[in-house]
Amino acid sequence: MTSRRTRLLAGVVAAVAVIVVLLMTGLGRDPSVFASPLVGRAAPNFTLPQLDGPPVTLARLRGQVVVLNFWASWCTECQVEQAALDQTWQQFQDSGVVVIGVNFQDTADAARSYVRTDRVAYPVVEDAGSKTALAYGLRGVPETFVVNRSGRIVKHVIGPVDAAALASEINSMLATRAQ
Amino acid sequence: MNAAGTLRRARAGRPGLVVLIALAAGLAALVIVAVGGHPPASQAQQVQQIAAGLHCPICRDLSVADSPAPLAQQMRQEIAQKVRAGEPADQIRAGFVAAYGDSVLMSPPRRGVTGAVYYLPVLVLAAGLLTAFLLLRRWLRPPQPDPPQAGPPQLSAAQRRAVARAVARLREEEPG
Repeated sequence: MTSRRTRLLAGVVAAVAVIVVLLMTGLGRDPSVFASPLVGRAAPNFTLPQLDGPPVTLARLRGQVVVLNFWASWCTECQVEQAALDQTWQQFQDSGVVVIGVNFQDTADAARSYVRTDRVAYPVVEDAGSKTALAYGLRGVPETFVVNRSGRIVKHVIGPVDAAALASEINSMLATRAQ
Repeated sequence: MNAAGTLRRARAGRPGLVVLIALAAGLAALVIVAVGGHPPASQAQQVQQIAAGLHCPICRDLSVADSPAPLAQQMRQEIAQKVRAGEPADQIRAGFVAAYGDSVLMSPPRRGVTGAVYYLPVLVLAAGLLTAFLLLRRWLRPPQPDPPQAGPPQLSAAQRRAVARAVARLREEEPG
């Protein structure tokens, strides 16, 4: 009888332990933060018109590290990260790194005005119809994808980027010649 | 049995025959509809069906079909464009899953951990039914008769002789 009771107790304890572990795992995760399934995969290719310049095709940038930043002129967090992106462009533009701004759900005039006012020096492209944004699984702006020299997405940042973290990521990619 | 009687029986049986024919026709129509399936959906219906199965990525609990968000509108346009290009619905859905992950689906896929959502209730129900069956069987089982009482232990001849000797000795030792 005692052994039966012990087995029952062990079963209940095991079931409670499983529930506790599941709850701890689930509650430790922020449900509003989604990891992009594209990290580690080939970056979706695109050819998009620049605001003021020739069209940009991602596939033609193979061999360079690409920082792809989705932004909009109406987005306040995009203004917060603008300095970090400018700094990244200034620091790495001669080291085989390209920063591309992809304008999202915006008007060309508003985007041009923003670029002029904030003196954005890197190429900015228009994504009319958000085709490219949808291909990248965009949920909002700003979102940034770092693409390595092989054309694979290695980093996805939701929200404003940090200049130091971005520089560290780029430096480690530049150091690895195989990439 | 004359001719008039036969005619009367035939007339009397006619309403039943009509009902039978009507039932058979109805059944045949149901079978034709079931086998033939629905008429092919229009492109707008296909877009609606696909959009209804996708979760608006920036909404709480709205499908792409129901959400007024600009991103959902653009997703609907993208779906419509792909439907017009003749892309199969599964492929269109797979494209969104590749970009957004499984969370873009309104119903979780029947594989991996999320597959448990479909299979676990069935397993729990089966386990519950099995437990209820076993408990009922135990409760409804007629009580077992008590096992027969064991008689006195059987002694061997040598043991009986030893007992007899011991009893005789005791009697001899008894005073008086």
